[in-house]
Amino acid sequence: MYAPWVVKYKPKSTSEIVGNAEAIKIFREWLLSWRKGLPRYRAALLYGPPGVGKTVTVEALALELSIELVEKNASDYRTEEAINRFAGLSSQYSSLFGGTRMILLDELDGLTGDADRGGVKAIIEVVKNAKCPVVLTANDAYDPRLAVLRNYCLLIEFKKPPVGEVVKRLKAICIHEGIQADESALKFIAQRSEGDVRSAVNDLQALSQGKTKLTYDDVVWLAYRDRRDTIFNVLRIIFYSRTSFNAKQAVSMADVDLDMLFEWVYENVPAHFNDPHDLATAMHALSMADLYRGRIRATQDWGLTRYVIDHLTVGVALSRQYSKMQGWIPFKFPGRIQALSKSKGERFMQQSIALKVKRRCHISASRAIREFLPYLKIIFQNDAQMAANTAKWLELEDEMISYMAGEKAKAIIALMK
Amino acid sequence: MSFEMWAEKYRPKHLDEMVNQKEIVERLKSFAKSKNVPHCIFAGPPGTGKTTAALCLARDLYGDTYREHIMELNASDERGIDVVRETVKTFARAKSIGAVGFKIMILDEADNMTSDAQQALRRTMERYTETCRFILCANYSGKIIEPIQSRCAPFRFTFLPRPEHDAYLLRIAKNESVMLLPDGLDAIYEVCGGDLRRAVNTLQAAASTGKHVDAVLVYSITGRASPSDVQKMLMTAVNGDFISARAQLREMIQKYGVAGTDIIRQIHVEVFRANIPEKVKLKVAELVGEADFRLVEGSDEEIQLSALLAKLVEIGSEIKK
Repeated sequence: MYAPWVVKYKPKSTSEIVGNAEAIKIFREWLLSWRKGLPRYRAALLYGPPGVGKTVTVEALALELSIELVEKNASDYRTEEAINRFAGLSSQYSSLFGGTRMILLDELDGLTGDADRGGVKAIIEVVKNAKCPVVLTANDAYDPRLAVLRNYCLLIEFKKPPVGEVVKRLKAICIHEGIQADESALKFIAQRSEGDVRSAVNDLQALSQGKTKLTYDDVVWLAYRDRRDTIFNVLRIIFYSRTSFNAKQAVSMADVDLDMLFEWVYENVPAHFNDPHDLATAMHALSMADLYRGRIRATQDWGLTRYVIDHLTVGVALSRQYSKMQGWIPFKFPGRIQALSKSKGERFMQQSIALKVKRRCHISASRAIREFLPYLKIIFQNDAQMAANTAKWLELEDEMISYMAGEKAKAIIALMK
Repeated sequence: MSFEMWAEKYRPKHLDEMVNQKEIVERLKSFAKSKNVPHCIFAGPPGTGKTTAALCLARDLYGDTYREHIMELNASDERGIDVVRETVKTFARAKSIGAVGFKIMILDEADNMTSDAQQALRRTMERYTETCRFILCANYSGKIIEPIQSRCAPFRFTFLPRPEHDAYLLRIAKNESVMLLPDGLDAIYEVCGGDLRRAVNTLQAAASTGKHVDAVLVYSITGRASPSDVQKMLMTAVNGDFISARAQLREMIQKYGVAGTDIIRQIHVEVFRANIPEKVKLKVAELVGEADFRLVEGSDEEIQLSALLAKLVEIGSEIKK
């Protein structure tokens, strides 16, 4: 019951593994080729970033093809002697029960100069004489220490799975755990994990175990680790102080990043200053604080920071003149930052399309976003043939076409072939 | 068959094909003929043929292999001093092979270069004049530092006059078998104001609907292409709803990538059309001017503009009293 989710939801068959279908296929074919005699490569080196499913693939395939798995990983000693004892034997004789067997040497990057003396050399010997499949995994196949070994291995690359795939997996887990999760929340977790499914599942568990609902606001905190309580206290002081001394206290008492504090104040000013005159005065103070931030950027004179603080604290606090006290108003997370992280994917997509336009149309990418993208979108949503020709000419990728054309994308991609 | 963006497909290839900017083209032709080109600044609004003129000049000068002799850099993408130190310098100092003894560096949107980068550029231009000539394209020549301006021959591009604008679009329409109606043409000119790139993009987007291109269609296309409804945002503020006015502003900037200075310019126009007391208009214009200046100085677009919106909320509430 209390098993970590990464263990509880470890894929048991290859169909449950997120992404990397191509790599899994190549690997499966290589394993099957052993049934027809010794293949060209007796070892396969699965490489790729952590958490993308290398080891899980090996385990799942062993199960599916009923191959006995003999495993050794970085935590075990891997001197020449240890490897020979373990792998040498396993590779020479068939399995106890007469079935096939494969040897997994996991986390090859863990081989260190001293402790694993002669380790690589021993592995090469094992591979050369192997009578059964030897599987190696590593993060970096091009580590110089593996240079010779590489020649004896079938190299299979595991890539970071696309965000959408990771989201699907997280969703399946949520359904199983009875958690109602917002798509945007899962997407945020997936994006943050950068393709490391294992860490995404860990994050999901940390954020949602014991809950029945998971919203975007629950997860956005991941990125900004300022503690809520501190920042709420600071905001309360800034918004409700009556003297400049008290207002200025706010910044010195808190260990909060000034730019982040600025965003918090900016977000929450309108709700706490309900009189139009007070609001305008407070916003003016913020614009002055921002003016000094700009001057700091231009001159790199950080001494000017004190004026930023003056406007941000005293300026805002003393704007309160006519605003009526209301009941409890909750503080909101800075919407501008939330919006930025939500639209991050979209902006990245626009940028990559713009770079394609730039190559063809003698225009900067930033301008292409404004002057070409809107029109391209209209074309892509209307005229599939024109869109297909343009896409070909610009060498757009399928996902770029989907971004611009929406549901018409399929027709366009079909026309391109 | 149309196989590309029309803006590119119908870009003139040779100086002879350029219908507009006659005086400029004549001078450039004489450069090509004498096989000598000074450093140049092409200044003028977007879509008036600056980049096209530079590319045509290069083609007339070097022939079809012109690509080997030129380099195009876009200063708004690569505007730092490192680019000038590395990329520009490496290109500029290598000798050119062929009949023309120098190469051409086209620096597009040069007014977006930082002033440090411009200073570095100035030295590079001077040292490698023998091997490389620079053509700087810019919207505002004022943003190019004096020392560079004084080393360059200035060319001022202007918006296309109506007859030439019409002839160009009608030729494209004919070639692409698009039914471009007279009121559609009027509408394109009104909306794009002589910016040919925008005009051609608008025409192509309109044509993609498969309908006759008339005024209604053109307006609906431009409405979809630039959803920056500044007027609506201003009225939301004047009516007292700061939070949703700010949300509209945020969407324009973050989602549609509208530049803050563009929004300012539109606000400035709208202020004088708006239904507010005459005396207040000048007061608002003053605030707009201050915000504009701060943006140029490098302040945050959303903060400065939303402070302006808050001021409008206050003005709105005073009017009501």
